[in-house]
Amino acid sequence: MNYSGIGNRRVPAAGGRMGIGKRWEPGSGRSARALIGAIALSVLAGTSLVAQSATYVIRGGTVVPVVGAQIPNGTVVIANGRIQAVGANVQAPAGATVIDATGKFVYPGMIDSGTELGLTEIGSVPGSTDTREIGDFNPQDVALTAVNAHSELIPVARVNGVTTVITSAQGALMSGAAALVDLSGWTPDEMAVKPKAAMVMSYPSAGSGGRGGFGGRGQGGNAGEALSRQVRELRDFLADARAYAAVKARLASGGTAAADAPRVNQAMEALVPVIRGEMPVIFDVNTADQIRGVLALADTFKLKVILRGPRDAWRLADTLAARGIPVIVGPTTENPGTDDAYDALYAQPGALAKAGVKIAFQTSGSSDVRNLPYNAALATAYGLDMDEAIKALTINPAQIFGVADRYGSLEAGKVANVIVTTGNPLDVRSTVTHLFIRGQLVPLADRHTKLYEQFRARPKP
Amino acid sequence: MRTDREQGTGNGRAPAEGGRMALLAVAVLLFAAPASGQARGTQQPAAAAAPNVQLDLTAVSLPVPAAGKLVAITNATIMTASNGTIQKGTIVIRDGKIAAVGTDVAVPAGAKVIDGTGKYITPGIIDAHSHAASEAINEGTLSITSMVRIADVLRQDGVSLYRQLAGGTTTLNILHGSANTIGGQNAVVKLRYGLPVDSLMFEGAPPGIKFALGENVRQTNRTVLPGREARFPRTRMGVEDLLRDAFTRAQEYRRDWQQYEAQRKKATTAAQRAALIPPARNLELDALVEVLEGKRLVHCHSYRADEILMMLRVAKDFGFRVATFQHVLEGYKVADELAKAGSGASTFADNWAYKMEAWDAIPHNAALMAERGVVVSINSDSDERARRLYQEAAKAMHYGGASEQEALRMITLNPAKQLGVDKRVGSIEVGKDADLAIFTGHPFAPNSRVDMTLIDGRVFFDRATSPTLEQLIEQMRQRQRPRVTSEEQ
Repeated sequence: MNYSGIGNRRVPAAGGRMGIGKRWEPGSGRSARALIGAIALSVLAGTSLVAQSATYVIRGGTVVPVVGAQIPNGTVVIANGRIQAVGANVQAPAGATVIDATGKFVYPGMIDSGTELGLTEIGSVPGSTDTREIGDFNPQDVALTAVNAHSELIPVARVNGVTTVITSAQGALMSGAAALVDLSGWTPDEMAVKPKAAMVMSYPSAGSGGRGGFGGRGQGGNAGEALSRQVRELRDFLADARAYAAVKARLASGGTAAADAPRVNQAMEALVPVIRGEMPVIFDVNTADQIRGVLALADTFKLKVILRGPRDAWRLADTLAARGIPVIVGPTTENPGTDDAYDALYAQPGALAKAGVKIAFQTSGSSDVRNLPYNAALATAYGLDMDEAIKALTINPAQIFGVADRYGSLEAGKVANVIVTTGNPLDVRSTVTHLFIRGQLVPLADRHTKLYEQFRARPKP
Repeated sequence: MRTDREQGTGNGRAPAEGGRMALLAVAVLLFAAPASGQARGTQQPAAAAAPNVQLDLTAVSLPVPAAGKLVAITNATIMTASNGTIQKGTIVIRDGKIAAVGTDVAVPAGAKVIDGTGKYITPGIIDAHSHAASEAINEGTLSITSMVRIADVLRQDGVSLYRQLAGGTTTLNILHGSANTIGGQNAVVKLRYGLPVDSLMFEGAPPGIKFALGENVRQTNRTVLPGREARFPRTRMGVEDLLRDAFTRAQEYRRDWQQYEAQRKKATTAAQRAALIPPARNLELDALVEVLEGKRLVHCHSYRADEILMMLRVAKDFGFRVATFQHVLEGYKVADELAKAGSGASTFADNWAYKMEAWDAIPHNAALMAERGVVVSINSDSDERARRLYQEAAKAMHYGGASEQEALRMITLNPAKQLGVDKRVGSIEVGKDADLAIFTGHPFAPNSRVDMTLIDGRVFFDRATSPTLEQLIEQMRQRQRPRVTSEEQ
């Protein structure tokens, strides 16, 4: 099996290197030719290359567009990296590669709203991990910088239908910018959907060793005091950023003399879009107290916040729904707190959705991203509506991260991240048979299928 | 060994204690006979520090499970694990045992009836690798600690056992940790949550012991602290040396005792008998002699193919069988060797990449080993994963194409075989213990959950009487809503 794609050298194309600021943005007005060039560039990491075909027709299956009703015996047409048509009576373009999905289902690719994918390879090998920088305040760090597009974990992450993930460092009070990436591309830049999709912060916690980079540093046995100090530091840092952004705004409007401009500070620069409300903040939290703290910060600094990984969000569900604050739930595969109901983490997603909170799921992992749909499955056993679960894996995260115009559903014009499955993708017994990223058919081979086939063929000793 | 040999014999326990502890063990076994009507003694106090809305979680105090003299579960889909699936079947339970199962089974007069309409029933789930209900499970100061016993540190650890019951899990193989090559003795338990801790022991289960190979025992991922020496062994070669040395000593120890017993038999006078000095009792080697004699099952933590083959060679050379290789993530590479040796494999469904020796782990491992004739189980090694082993088992169908029944067996009949308790549990058959999980739908379907778990015919988990998040939210809305909203405004 051609595994590494070696021998398929990337040829510089008209689109040029898609660096920051020159990123491929479907619908941004580029010519179709440039677009195709860009797609040709995004050959897939860690997979063998198959015959490229510009146009695919998936027909005969039940199409689940997520937005809108299911289409029995529906057709999806993919070309130029985009979904060209979705419907019951869609004409197949001539020359298209036909995928017979009779008896199967067609869904949009799934989005994992919290991972460390590409930033770590083998957990216990420090040389292979880039998930935690020294220090509590690193808003200027950019996760995309360290995403290894050729990680062996990426093809594994795709096998059950995940096509897009948020990846970031985590654990510090400010861990830096999370990237929204498609799980294909020769370089991190090519993978990027949004290179700086959100700022990752965590709210300090009273407990030691939990979230919030609060593992006892300088606690001196007084966790409460350390908590207050860290909350103060967080507020001060944000206040500095607000002042910095204000000065920059006055400079831009001529209200401040250029000579009085502050020295450039990378951390402050990174927080300017956060202060302006242009960049959302993913707040990793756990308890209701932390959530209340985040809400207070959001009020003070007019932050656009996304809560992630809370255990106690159900306690404030009505408030979160009223304020329109989305919650990224999961992993559901954790033990609830000692004092919580036995089904607390399984039932919380359903409780939040019922209260009107927009939810999405995360695995919070790297090697187990492929279990994203099964995380959601556990929630459907404890009250989350199945359709809501599918949304929480597709359109909801697309909306939360501001890419719903391009991602999250099967609609004409959207980026062709599409999966064909033998059944409900949340059912462990289902299999993904075809997976498209940006209109490209990605082989579902990975390190594991290679080893499986190799040793299945081992002769009897 | 070197230091281990010295320290191992001088571990502070007087030889006489061995006898006393053996008596205690017998007492534990006697005590473990299913008791009824005992008060639950280990409830956790109410949530002390819930910082927000105070909810009364003491509702976890369930009624003591009734003795379950005569119970019938009717009109259910019964996945027997041994003999296919029965549609619209009935299970009759008498005195904790399955008395009848099938479609033409009459409900006996006076039976407590559980309506199984629309429900799926599986055997109680068996987890062949657990560290629940115990504390300080790693006596890692020595490389050989065959004298320590999990049974001595068992406890009813509150809510964690209850949550595992809520996932249909009924039997656990509680193992010593993997800090050292020859770890401590295991305890096979039933999740009789809420009864006195002695009631946990699975009466009659064969004793076992934990062995471990690879990174953990050579302390690869641990920094040697300044001023402290690294513990032997630090390589996989050293691990083999340690094992061979230990079993050589066990053989010599056994020979010393055999010679002593022979001389005692030959002695004809009291004076001759008095002149004989028995060998010093060695609790470390006693356990290893039991391994040599096939009376104690070896459960061996392992990852790489090479170390699995090494363990098989050592076992063969010393004449014992390794009952299970645990984790055994590269077992698929040496499945034929495992099958030939008659060793079971107890693995994760899909964990990988968390350390170097888990780099070649593949989720097809379970199915591929089974295909090659190995008795395979899927375990948790985690109080959390033990709550959803049914979903983990389904992954053997997903990766590698195991059949539905084979996948179900990996969490029921197969671990029962591996632990030597398959005559009692692991399938739904007449005569076996009535350890059952009742699911709302097919156990492998995405939105199924466990609604009831029975052990010995007694209901130890019933969702209808459990405090669920939904109930807590309802309580909160009724009791706390005004306060919450005023706080938030």
